[in-house]
Amino acid sequence: MGSLTASLNIAMQGLQAEQTAIQTTTNNIANVDTPGYSRQVANFDDNPPIQIGNLSLGSGVNISQVTSLRDAVLDKRVNQETQQQGELNAFISGGQQIQALFNETESTGLQTPLTNFFNSLSELSANPSDVDTRQAVLTAAQNLATAFNQTSNNLTQIQQGEDLDVTQSVNQINSLTSQIAAVNVQVSAATGTGQNPGPFIDQRQQLINQLSNLVDVSEIDAGNNSLTLTTTSGAPLVVGGQSFPLTTQADPVTGLQDVYSQGNNITSKITGGELAGQIQLRDQEIPSDISSLDSLASTLATAVNTQNAQGYDLNGNPGGNIFVPPPANGAGAAGSLAVAITDPSLLAASGGPAPGTAGDNTNANALLAIQNQTIDNGESPIDAYSSLVYKIGNDVSTAQSNQTAGSEVLDQLTNLQQGVSGVDINEESANLIRFQSAYQASAQVSGIIDQLLQDTINIIPVT
Amino acid sequence: MAIRLNPNPLPDLLLQIQQTEQNQNTATQQISTGRSVNQLSDNPAAAASVVLNHNQSSQDDQYLQNISTLQPQLQVADSSFTSVVTALTQAISLGTEGANGTLSHGDRQAVAVEVQGIQSQLVSLANATYQGKYLFGGTAVGAAPFTLNATTGAVTYNGNTNVTSVQISNGNSIQTNVPGSQLFQNTSGNVFQSIQDLITGLQNNSNIGAAVTEVQNALTTVNTQRVQYDNSLNQLSSSEDFLNQDKVNLSTQENALIGAALATASSNLVQAQTAEEATLNAASRILSLPNLLSYLPPP
Repeated sequence: MGSLTASLNIAMQGLQAEQTAIQTTTNNIANVDTPGYSRQVANFDDNPPIQIGNLSLGSGVNISQVTSLRDAVLDKRVNQETQQQGELNAFISGGQQIQALFNETESTGLQTPLTNFFNSLSELSANPSDVDTRQAVLTAAQNLATAFNQTSNNLTQIQQGEDLDVTQSVNQINSLTSQIAAVNVQVSAATGTGQNPGPFIDQRQQLINQLSNLVDVSEIDAGNNSLTLTTTSGAPLVVGGQSFPLTTQADPVTGLQDVYSQGNNITSKITGGELAGQIQLRDQEIPSDISSLDSLASTLATAVNTQNAQGYDLNGNPGGNIFVPPPANGAGAAGSLAVAITDPSLLAASGGPAPGTAGDNTNANALLAIQNQTIDNGESPIDAYSSLVYKIGNDVSTAQSNQTAGSEVLDQLTNLQQGVSGVDINEESANLIRFQSAYQASAQVSGIIDQLLQDTINIIPVT
Repeated sequence: MAIRLNPNPLPDLLLQIQQTEQNQNTATQQISTGRSVNQLSDNPAAAASVVLNHNQSSQDDQYLQNISTLQPQLQVADSSFTSVVTALTQAISLGTEGANGTLSHGDRQAVAVEVQGIQSQLVSLANATYQGKYLFGGTAVGAAPFTLNATTGAVTYNGNTNVTSVQISNGNSIQTNVPGSQLFQNTSGNVFQSIQDLITGLQNNSNIGAAVTEVQNALTTVNTQRVQYDNSLNQLSSSEDFLNQDKVNLSTQENALIGAALATASSNLVQAQTAEEATLNAASRILSLPNLLSYLPPP
């Protein structure tokens, strides 16, 4: 047999449950603009029935749990896309600096000095005895050397900028991993005590997303909602409550900062995030561009010197070096290219030693012919340069199209993620109205039971 | 149940606005620079081709400049030949006159003196210069190629037999000189020897007819050799035409590679502006939509 006091108790539970639900809804509305916040729901559970005699009677309601709504798989996918976006964005930003040095659509770059150098030889061929024409060749050679020097130096400066960025990224990574380790502890503590770990997971997801923008992160579930984070190559970042900071150390050969984890050099194993983009620019893209310039500068200087030595200068002597001979393996040739002579009469335009052959242009023609010779890895100087321009532009353009495609994917994923976790004011308002009416109903019920109790008490005659 | 959508439309709207602004920027940049390729990554292949295009165009300019250097030089040489031909023709008529048996000794000597005048005129023609360079000494441009021994009347060649050639377009060179020895002391007709023989003949009144024939041969030879210069001049002017046309072609090609189609860019700009207006309009409507709470009666 049921009782009025039990009913009153149940009405009381109803009021309490609705209050909790209203508070949850209010909290959702309050956090509508909080980054990383996942909406929460109060889970209503009916209490287990009570057996009275042969009757099984319901015993009210309780809020068993407040849950944060999120999709761990979507979170992970968002993080993965973020890693790629971070890498591509860092690469594009450096790549744009590089391609500005070679912007041939505005004739900024090496084409003009390179063509002018050969044009000066063409002019020398038409007028080999003229001192002004000879001087113009030396000036053009000097301009070419300066252009090589500046381009190479500018590339080195961009490289050093990326090197600084690497150190800064590592510092940011370390700051994030230590924060994540701290939150990780809170997540597992909340999970262990049966509380809603959602808010902590929200916070952790925000931090992991920031971390993903910087470096490739692999997430492994360590039980109790705790996460172990490593780089994709397996270098530990966070294990439980402990973070493993990355360190940097100057490379003995290049002088650039290598990235270390637990004593291991992982520089070449970083595959995502801004750090990967910075390392790719610093260790691959820029060295490859500089090496192409070095190759062009050294093969050109060597070819010109060799040809000049085949001829005879205005004094009838065999020609010497026009350019200072480049380093033997070509490394650093573009940065150090320099003109070796200042006396224009030393240009060996003539093919014969006999004095009084100032009008001989045989060797000037041979020097000019270098412009069409395949001296640099099977390409003529201008073709080799044109290939470099293509490669630089294409690297940036490929990264840009990947970035565009990736950002659309990320946008989609974020929409899906927010579809699960985002707070919808209308939905919350509807819930609020629902909880409000339920609360009002329970309150009314309490009033009615109170009246019934009064009525019962009033049955007893007053003595 | 329908899939729950992202309740916050703002990020999508902002992305859309950014995209239309980006499109406007691109179109504006294309219109203001006149180029569709403004950095290498806009079209790497076109940018690489532009390197070759600019290189070729600049080479063409240089070839044209070479042509303008060579043209007057060859013209000076050519006009020397005109004078040489006149002088030799005159020598022939003097020789023919001197061969006339009715001429007195004194008159013949006078003719010989006249021919001597022609001789020194020829030597100075053979020592023609352009901008201080001797034209007929092979590659020895710094010293007079021919010297006349005033006593013996013999002319010696101090130059060499080298010829020079200069590129006037890709893969196309012209010969820019003929050595003086080949022009004026050719075995098939020696200008100076024939004149000297004529003078001697006139002075001694012997073999004048043979000497005149020699001079005629020399004249023929000079005319034959001169063809080389005419050829080179013709090549220069045809190369000049070719290069000017090539520059037009290259400029057309450059425009095709990286030039902006202004009509397209303008219509892109208008499109982007319209799109942005539409997006902003939509955004303002979406963002100002009332929510459910707006319809609840105030408590």
